[in-house]
Amino acid sequence: MSGDSDHYGWAGKILDIDLTTGAIKSLPLDETLARLFLGGRGLGTRFLWDEVGPQVDPLSPANVLIFAAGPLTATGYQTSNRFSVSTKSPLTGTVLDANSGGYWGMQFKKSGYDALIVRGRAEQPVYIEIKPSSEVAVPQVSIRDASTLWGMRVRAVTEKLGQNDNRRNVLCIGPAGENLSRIAAIMNDGQRSLARGGPGAVMGSKNLKAIVVEGKYRPEIQDQELFKFMLYETRKLLRASPLTSQALPEFGTSVVMNLVNNIGALPTRNYQQSQFEGAEAISGEALTDTYLVKNASCWACPIGCTRISKTEKVEGEGPEFETTWAFGAQCGNDDLAAIIEANYLCNDLGMDTISAGSTIACAMELAEKGYLDADLRFGRADLFAQTLEDMAYRRGLGDDLADGSLRLATRYGAPELSMSVKGLEMPAYDPRGMQGQGLLYATSNRGACHMRGNMLGLEVLGLPKLIDRFQVQGKSSYVILHQNTSAMIDSLVICKFTNMGVAEEYFARVLSAVTGIKYATGDLIRVGERVYNLERLYNLREGFSAEDDTLPPRLLNEAVAEGPSKGWVSKLEPMLKEYYRARGWDEQGVPRPQKLAELELHGFSYPKELVP
Amino acid sequence: MPLVKLYGNLRKLARSANGTGGGDRRIAHGLNISGDTVQAIIEGLCASSPELCAALLDQGVLRPYIRVIINGRDIELAQGLATPLDPQDQVDIFPPIAGGSLAGQTTAP
Repeated sequence: MSGDSDHYGWAGKILDIDLTTGAIKSLPLDETLARLFLGGRGLGTRFLWDEVGPQVDPLSPANVLIFAAGPLTATGYQTSNRFSVSTKSPLTGTVLDANSGGYWGMQFKKSGYDALIVRGRAEQPVYIEIKPSSEVAVPQVSIRDASTLWGMRVRAVTEKLGQNDNRRNVLCIGPAGENLSRIAAIMNDGQRSLARGGPGAVMGSKNLKAIVVEGKYRPEIQDQELFKFMLYETRKLLRASPLTSQALPEFGTSVVMNLVNNIGALPTRNYQQSQFEGAEAISGEALTDTYLVKNASCWACPIGCTRISKTEKVEGEGPEFETTWAFGAQCGNDDLAAIIEANYLCNDLGMDTISAGSTIACAMELAEKGYLDADLRFGRADLFAQTLEDMAYRRGLGDDLADGSLRLATRYGAPELSMSVKGLEMPAYDPRGMQGQGLLYATSNRGACHMRGNMLGLEVLGLPKLIDRFQVQGKSSYVILHQNTSAMIDSLVICKFTNMGVAEEYFARVLSAVTGIKYATGDLIRVGERVYNLERLYNLREGFSAEDDTLPPRLLNEAVAEGPSKGWVSKLEPMLKEYYRARGWDEQGVPRPQKLAELELHGFSYPKELVP
Repeated sequence: MPLVKLYGNLRKLARSANGTGGGDRRIAHGLNISGDTVQAIIEGLCASSPELCAALLDQGVLRPYIRVIINGRDIELAQGLATPLDPQDQVDIFPPIAGGSLAGQTTAP
């Protein structure tokens, strides 16, 4: 795998940059690792296992950032624009990967590398530039002075460094990352984000402001005829599906707002209620009727779910459903313009919108209940802008909010008011009204997440069939399938929305066409399971245990008071027992040796007594 | 009469049916339609607009991905189109919608 014509899909090279010493190395990609972990999240997790052990502080020079594309990236296959960053999370202490769309991932792969490992810490602010040289196989890589860029916001630095969607792409941090906010995002192409778990703080801790990429390399495709056929088939399927051809382009992701609300699963006012009286005003329909300017799409994406919205003050990408919820129902706010402006500000400051909105909601409840002396109250959208600025620059109370809701609530004596799992703020679905979603949050390796599988399809939308959202028995097998499939898609790397119209079988066929390695559907799902188990082992090695596979006490003990989910709490415990069994893990949630052997993870057993 | 609420592009179809273009907020706030089953409600909507009817039904059967929710519960888990209605019920009708991450949809057990 070298990028020569006898190697396919992968570029075959890893770029390794040590910011402490300035050393820049190009290393070969191990073929066996590539086959087993593909790319993106899978390859990132595998490298992180070797690179960062339990003794490493996430904000120390010993942590690494692993940016990874996948074997499909930049091939032109539908949505083959995505990439991921893997690191140890400064928010949760768990394994972390976050992924993003746009253009940067495609351009990075075209620079001729599958992954970039950044280690150490520069003495002064720097940025990395990767450009083609006269010899395509050996790009020109340099570490450049960024002292004049430090302090700039995301849009400004992206423009300053010459963002050009199809030619030169900028990835950077904003003030939140520079100031080591543990909910800081890494931003790419100006407005896309690798958001969750605080990777922006890791980048800030390395004094790394930006990574600029230009590329000329084109991934080789082993079977062009089959690949072209798969492109054709995929295009046809995405056009035929009402989800990818109508629902997402027309109303964006926020179109689910009313449905999730009407069934009593829209967390409201820091999860105190599960229905929001202002849901209609912040729905996808309302956005389309009021502030929507146009749609946009990532590179090689025929779906085009991105919203471009405009208020009197700002114009930019988004907001997505989760963001709209975080600054909407979760904060008791039905002012859609204020949500759009908060989203814009988070993107410009480089902050995760879910964690930022939910942390503000937590502060609102702390203030309303007297734990915290502040003006924040549910519905006070007028305070969003100042609060977000204070968070990014760590001013006053913002300094406490900058590290997420769990640290905030713990500091003020009420950790139970943090709506998080393993320290990561939960997204926009109340597990009391969607039982499977609770299991999914509790067992997600990077903390509560809707992108590590999502039960919305099965429990609410009827995709591909409807199962009772209050049912407990039998949910674990669905959750596991979704988690494994998500890990596989995150390793290819493509957009999960393609999977609404295109079955996994097609992904196996296109991967086979691109790489020349025969993958069956089961092989691909097995990759996802392998990645999920390795992430689990990583967390166990960090000292996490079954005790951490839980939900906030509010969801386990406080029944929903009104609406269609009235009387329900999350019945996590029986689901969790079933889940461990179905995963092939022991009662303590540790993967059994036979499961590891089955997944070709023999050497990764942890704790030590598990070694066969 | 049950309160019927339409969402997504079904709203546009209903608005065009009653000649109000995009401006009629009553569509968002709900319509009172008489009927003691979901079937009767759908027939009432079909009478108002062939386009809306075509978006909801295919040869008398609800199209795939259309969700009908009565007071927060999906009719698929009740009696489908035969599900009885009380006058105070709220009927939410959603077109195909999507969001979040839906991986695994095609091979779920």
